[in-house]
Amino acid sequence: MAAMKRHVLYIVRLKRYLSSYLGTILILVSLIGSSVRAEVGRPRGVAISKSSFYKPGDTFTCLDNSAVLPYSQVNDDYCDCKDGTDEPGTSACPNGFFHCTNAGHKPMYIPSSRVGDSICDCCDGTDEYSGEVICDNTCKELGRAAKEERERKKQLLGEGYEIRKQYCEQGKTAKEEKRSRLEQLQYDKVQSETIRNDMEALKNQAEIPEKEAKDKHQQAWEAEKASRQANREIDQITSAFKELDKNGDQFMSKEELQLHPEMDIDNNTVVSDTEAKEHLEDNDQVDFDTFKDKVWPNIKDIYRSPEPVAEEPPEGSTVEPEESPPVDPEMEADNDKDLDEEDDDDEEDDRKDERGEEGSPPAQEEEKMPDYDEETKKLIEDAALSRANFDEADKRFRDTEKELNDINSFLNMDLGPDEVFYPLKDQCYEFTDREYIYKLCPFDQASQRPKSGGTETNLGRWGHWAGPENNKYENMKFEKGLNCWNGPDRSVLVTLHCGTNNEIVSVAEPNRCEYTFNFNTPAVCIDTTPEEPHDEHDEL
Amino acid sequence: MVTIIDPHIKRDDNYKIHKEATSNGYYVKNKDGQDYDGWCWPGSSGWLDFTNPEIRKYWASKFALDEYEGSTESLFTWNDMNEPSVFNGPEVTMHKDAKHFLDWEHRDVHNVYGLYQQMSTAQGQIQRSTKNERPFVLSRAFFSGSQRWGAVWTGDNTGEWAHLKISMPMLLSLNLVGITFSGADVGGFFKNPDAELLTRWYQAGAYQPFLRAHAHLDTRRREPWLQPEENMKAIREAIRARYSLLPYWYTLFYVGEIRGGPIMKPLWVDFPADKATFTDEDSYMIGSALLVHPVTDAGSSGVNVYFPGKTVWYDVDTYTVYPGGMTHYIPVTLNKIPVFQKGGTIIPRKNRIRRASNLGRFDPYTLVICLDPQGSAEGDLYIDDYHTFRYRQGEYIYRKFTFENKKLKNRNIDYKGTYKTTSWLEQVVIVGLQNKPTHVEVTGSSSERKSLDHSYIPETKVLVIRRPGVNIGEDWTISLQ
Repeated sequence: MAAMKRHVLYIVRLKRYLSSYLGTILILVSLIGSSVRAEVGRPRGVAISKSSFYKPGDTFTCLDNSAVLPYSQVNDDYCDCKDGTDEPGTSACPNGFFHCTNAGHKPMYIPSSRVGDSICDCCDGTDEYSGEVICDNTCKELGRAAKEERERKKQLLGEGYEIRKQYCEQGKTAKEEKRSRLEQLQYDKVQSETIRNDMEALKNQAEIPEKEAKDKHQQAWEAEKASRQANREIDQITSAFKELDKNGDQFMSKEELQLHPEMDIDNNTVVSDTEAKEHLEDNDQVDFDTFKDKVWPNIKDIYRSPEPVAEEPPEGSTVEPEESPPVDPEMEADNDKDLDEEDDDDEEDDRKDERGEEGSPPAQEEEKMPDYDEETKKLIEDAALSRANFDEADKRFRDTEKELNDINSFLNMDLGPDEVFYPLKDQCYEFTDREYIYKLCPFDQASQRPKSGGTETNLGRWGHWAGPENNKYENMKFEKGLNCWNGPDRSVLVTLHCGTNNEIVSVAEPNRCEYTFNFNTPAVCIDTTPEEPHDEHDEL
Repeated sequence: MVTIIDPHIKRDDNYKIHKEATSNGYYVKNKDGQDYDGWCWPGSSGWLDFTNPEIRKYWASKFALDEYEGSTESLFTWNDMNEPSVFNGPEVTMHKDAKHFLDWEHRDVHNVYGLYQQMSTAQGQIQRSTKNERPFVLSRAFFSGSQRWGAVWTGDNTGEWAHLKISMPMLLSLNLVGITFSGADVGGFFKNPDAELLTRWYQAGAYQPFLRAHAHLDTRRREPWLQPEENMKAIREAIRARYSLLPYWYTLFYVGEIRGGPIMKPLWVDFPADKATFTDEDSYMIGSALLVHPVTDAGSSGVNVYFPGKTVWYDVDTYTVYPGGMTHYIPVTLNKIPVFQKGGTIIPRKNRIRRASNLGRFDPYTLVICLDPQGSAEGDLYIDDYHTFRYRQGEYIYRKFTFENKKLKNRNIDYKGTYKTTSWLEQVVIVGLQNKPTHVEVTGSSSERKSLDHSYIPETKVLVIRRPGVNIGEDWTISLQ
């Protein structure tokens, strides 16, 4: 209704203007040849709103008051005023302006340098009056086209605005949902953290007796093994002594030692007296105890018995039924099970066994630690359960934390006024031109790939809103894309325009590796321009 | 509009020119008599033998408006890469034993190859025109005589201060050997000049015969409106300064066509007795009236300018007077170009701002008169229709202005010239006038005397005469009392 009233008013004004204009056609006829006045009461190039400054008289004062001139010097094709206002209708002043009325379309100021240059700058052609060129009056058509364009834009704006409203709804709802979920999660986090801590305490508690029992068992086993090992060694030493003591006199002499060529130290295949005595700690002969304590350590690595010594199975141990490569079956068996502490212990034991037997004859059979007793087993079971409980509680806590963080990031996202850009999040839009397919994923990243197939090149990750101060949501900046050889990291500046569909409408690369996209979206279908003035007739 | 046409022809059976060249045997041959095949922008390429007049005729005919699709009489040409440039050739040019017309080896005709192409292109533009229009062809390769066919430039330079500096001795050398319509790429072809360098380069280029800003594809954009505001304004002022001097440049080029001689000159050409000018490469003359000393250093706050001769020199911006025979320190800001008008000269200017030079062809003139110590000055002005060859049938104006004994006279010095113009005189500026006149009047051919408003500035001894309003192509006298 208001729009209608304005239109009526405009027509009324126009009628008044026209009638006064027609009225002065007669006066104009008598002023033919005068270049001073083209229309009612004002010099050529002067807008109606300024005509009061150009009232005909004896003098004219420059609008900046810098000089007073004889009125004849207005539009006399010579620049007299510093501000160029004495020559509104000619090209004489470098800083002057010419006003075209452009009835039927938009009135316009053009720089004085465009007056009389043989180019039709005003649609009513009034800027060219020397006769050198005749300008058609195209204001009616332009006015009509401009009106159509305005209406089209208004229509688009209207449609887009409706969609935009929905976007705001979606965005607001999404954020609200997330906010309430956030509250819940914060509560959950506290809860799950408490539970987790409790479980941790229980776990630690259960692990103490478990460890004690296992350690005890372990230590007993170690002791057992050590004693077995000691016994084995005694046997070895005894056999060796027996063998070395060729004459059976319970003494091992250097002569007897010299019978063993492997005792040779200096590699001359002969065991000298000196060498033998060195092994014998400077004695000529040793008894069993001395042999065991002093000599055996010297020679145990080099001593070779003439026949392989058959290992006598020590008492009371469980032994592998067959000789087999020491480690592998155990390891394989262990690898098949889920690794938990029990198996880790076994593996460690096996490895310890290996090390302990380096200096002894090969093909030693593996000794396996006996099973835990029932009591210990129970403790282990309990501890395992408490560990499982803890893991579960911990996972639940971590998941809650993650969701919390995700929601916080989301809530911190700048989705525009009223969260209008929410529907664009998690979407991607593509545009194909001659060579490439461009892809834009708002708030995420931009990329291109060749039409004919090939790798995707990253043009930039979401940076920030990059519009001008009064409206930062006009532009998006994506940056730190793939680096250009000898140039910048690729980046994209997206300009948003009102449109009923979300789509990229054009892509350009005005600077090497710096891209611009034009993107239509209903999200920016709001009227940011001031109301179109119908004309400059403000004399009422 | 100017588009680029290089001499290398893509060897491609879908390309009309290649097919015609091959079937007619127009290509330069290699030493074995086959079409010479070299590598250039399009890949495998052939080169037309411009040393052959038949082939030049063929090339020229290709510019006919119905041959060259989409072209109009406003489309002109830039012949680049016409040394010729051959990427896989020795010293990046054609093999010395390639064979040309009349069995000449390339080594003998290499230096004129580019000239012949430019010539042929220019002839093509002349022939295509139904309105007797003049051609415009820019060429990279040139030889003695190229000045008759168009403009040249100094090739692929770099956006560095050293390259700005060296443009002057290069162009001075070219001018001395007759290649007057020459210039260097403003801003440098390679690399990215900073805003200050770009500004100073526009300023220097505005006072060199051929002005063109250019850049390699991979450089950052550097249009003036993308520069910081201060620099953009300084660049705009430099371009406007050049445009306002176009009547002066145009007159110099006319005289150059008639009599030869350099347009951009080392100082010693006009002052051969002044030994101090012999090694000066930082200043040069444009015609006989203007001394130019562009700023070519970063962050410069002033330059030392040597003023030759037993005369005086006037700063064209401030009208400060500098006696000749000494060096003076000239302070500069970003938008200052040290330019000086010699005492005793009259320069015709068109001070109205236009978007293109052609749009100002009917604009009025301003005469800037700088007096010598004797109070005299003279200058000339050539006018024609600015775009056709009709000046060769007498459609031109060539006049002389003299100021002596307080009288400014406009006289015709070539009665063969019959052209008429509507351009008139809107202002006269007389610099170095010792005393304010009491009365100024103009007498035209009708002997009617008209009194003229005027204003005198005693600090700079400048008199401005308002709106004489007389036609620039007629005899008149302005007298001071």
